[in-house]
Amino acid sequence: MITAIGGVLLRAVVVLSGTAILTFALLWHAPGDPAQAIAMARFDALLSDDVIDQVRQEVGLNTGFWQAFWAWLGPLLRLDFGYSAVTGRPVWPDLWAAMTYTFPLALAGLAIGLALSLPLAILATKRPGGLLDRAAVAIASLGAAIPAYWLGLLLILLFAVQLGLLPAMGARTPAHAILPAVTLGLGVAASLTRIIRSGILEARGQPFLPALRRRGVAGQAVARDHVAPHAAIPVVTLFGLELAFLLEGAVLVEVIFGRPGLGTFLVTAITARDFPHVQAVVVLTALVFVLVNLATDIFYRVIDPRIGAEDA
Amino acid sequence: MRSVALVVTGLVALAVLGPLLAPYDPTAIDIPNRLSGPTQTFPLGTDALGRDILSRLLYGARWSLGLAFLISVLSLIIGTSVGLIAALGGRIADWSLMRATDTFLAFPELVAAVVIAGLMGAGTWSLIFALSVTGWMRYARVARGIGLSVQSRGYVVQARLAGMPGWSIARWHYLPSLIPSLTVVWTGMFARAILGISALGFLGFGVQPPNPEWGAMLLDARVHMRSTPLQMIWPGLAVVSCVLAINLAGDALRDALAKDGQPG
Amino acid sequence: MLTVTDLVVKRGARATLDGISLSVPAAGTLAVVGESGAGKSTLIAAILGLLKPATGVITWNGAPVRAARPALVMQEPRAAFNPALSLRRSVMEPIAAQGITLAEGRLERLCAGLELPLDLLDRRPAQVSIGQAQRAGILRALIAAPPLVLFDEPLSALDAVTQKHTARLIAEVQAEEGFAALIVTHDLGYAVAHGDRIMVLKDGQVEETADAQTFALSPRSPYCRALRDAAISLGALGAAA
Repeated sequence: MITAIGGVLLRAVVVLSGTAILTFALLWHAPGDPAQAIAMARFDALLSDDVIDQVRQEVGLNTGFWQAFWAWLGPLLRLDFGYSAVTGRPVWPDLWAAMTYTFPLALAGLAIGLALSLPLAILATKRPGGLLDRAAVAIASLGAAIPAYWLGLLLILLFAVQLGLLPAMGARTPAHAILPAVTLGLGVAASLTRIIRSGILEARGQPFLPALRRRGVAGQAVARDHVAPHAAIPVVTLFGLELAFLLEGAVLVEVIFGRPGLGTFLVTAITARDFPHVQAVVVLTALVFVLVNLATDIFYRVIDPRIGAEDA
Repeated sequence: MRSVALVVTGLVALAVLGPLLAPYDPTAIDIPNRLSGPTQTFPLGTDALGRDILSRLLYGARWSLGLAFLISVLSLIIGTSVGLIAALGGRIADWSLMRATDTFLAFPELVAAVVIAGLMGAGTWSLIFALSVTGWMRYARVARGIGLSVQSRGYVVQARLAGMPGWSIARWHYLPSLIPSLTVVWTGMFARAILGISALGFLGFGVQPPNPEWGAMLLDARVHMRSTPLQMIWPGLAVVSCVLAINLAGDALRDALAKDGQPG
Repeated sequence: MLTVTDLVVKRGARATLDGISLSVPAAGTLAVVGESGAGKSTLIAAILGLLKPATGVITWNGAPVRAARPALVMQEPRAAFNPALSLRRSVMEPIAAQGITLAEGRLERLCAGLELPLDLLDRRPAQVSIGQAQRAGILRALIAAPPLVLFDEPLSALDAVTQKHTARLIAEVQAEEGFAALIVTHDLGYAVAHGDRIMVLKDGQVEETADAQTFALSPRSPYCRALRDAAISLGALGAAA
């Protein structure tokens, strides 16, 4: 088992390194002269070549790929994200401030999603193929087809504009978080319903269950001790994926609702070609993804030792 | 399979023929009639520049659907090649290609696409590049899995012994096993591409004006949410119905395959 | 003539085959017998070039064995055929792949010899019986007239009656075509009845090689004697052969 975890960790390290290189390559190869773009964004004017060269040197764009890579990677490993190319302020505090808006939103969305999907999935699977089950699948399919930003807009239209019940833009009050969280939660609920439902159905289909029942094990005990753990495996794996995508969804939703979270942070940074900001977000999200996948991977192998044997 | 083919043909037909059905030029500006609700002359109303929304929707199919088709096929080709090379190319190729796949998977698709499209300069080509580069991984995993399982089958060994050339073995012995599963993945990716294109369009990073892409239309409509809320409904509905149709067809295919117990 | 000299196949640090040497003359038959895990399938894979040995030389008439294009008859008849293709298509694969022209009437003659109705070939593998599928497999192995044919437990998937029938057909068609055969089997009775010589494999090594009659009458090693006695008591081997 130690070797299994070791293998997983090695993979994670390789993947993280690859991620770092890819991110850097992306920034490096962005067309147009990044130094010029940064300078223009910073000084808001057309500038002489001297100033542009100065910016280029400052941001470290005048060396070779691998030198620049190590120069770039070093501080990152110390979690030093440097300074904004546009505002000159340190990146981390601004990034952290943005995160304080995004992470709670993601969690709220997850909570709402779970609160909706778990009961629905359990109820639906009580009678597979029955009316509730088919309705649940239909709703979930529909939900998966609705883009989060459209849903958000519709909710704004309904609750903020027409009914005037809830605030829409910005993040001034906690009430401002309701619509974004609900938008996110509904989307998450749609996918989670399908995942949990199929997990339960698959676990129910295990061949040894009828034997257990014949031996007289009570229905509740069967559900608790045999169906639930087995259903947990695919559910947790896909859940891990969902968590990562939750972050993505939160990012989109924030842009719609004008919240000052990672979404707006990223979009502004890209438009202004503020590389330190952009890379901070990319590295952060990639890190979250890899860590979440790592955690589910380990959890998955702990629960079911068979799994490790089949890869590589 | 049949429902998938049906849905896809329908959507592709829409993308190709849609413009023929459009009553107006989607870029024709008509300021006096701007922001009108549904009327006789403009069945779905007009946008802020007086352009007919129905026409824009129909032309938009080319962008939102056509591009999605292109992108999903591109990533299919890339991903399947990677997966097959991993399956057939030996242990080292397998390990390194799968780690590369993991690396690409580590990037949240949409965020990465936004960053790529944004940094490369907003536009159609960056869109295609961004979404293709972030979309091939699922194919690779599936292709590798199937490739590995087919590789050890009796008839493949026999074909190799008989001296059949590699491409012939791939065509006759691997393809029949690959096609069903890859199609299921492809439907999901096609839907994802539609959502991705419109998301990027909505953020302003995708297809640029005056091209009538559905997500971009939503972006335009948002500004006038209070005056003409209906404008917001149509592009969203278009996206939802297309994605739903594809997802349902894909589900039906997946269920049918599960019943057969995966032919081949 | 097939000659294998000092074949060693390793799997990690373990040797699945440890210094195997054997020979099969043209039109002769060598039966390789052994328990599960003795290395029989590995031997076949090595001769066919499906895996790389650590050391050893495998030749046919002095040249690398691959040049003789040896054919294989597998244990599982249906797994040997692509379920999506007709039997005819699969059977003709060696011809198509090697660009040979089939001699006039050869297919019909072989089918007759294997008691396979010609129209059966237009069916898919799932639409014929196991016995017919296995005979189609033999047909495919023989179609390009290879000088050497390897058989990996050719009868194991068949019922007892079909086994006898198929064994007889194999012997007949071998007499017709004149190929050298290496037959891997765990059935000692079959080995003695149809092999010229018998080789017993145990844990990757040659336990004993002898001609069939001698082996049946007096196997040298205790292990082989136990094998023979067990076969006799099961009725697979007539007492005193």
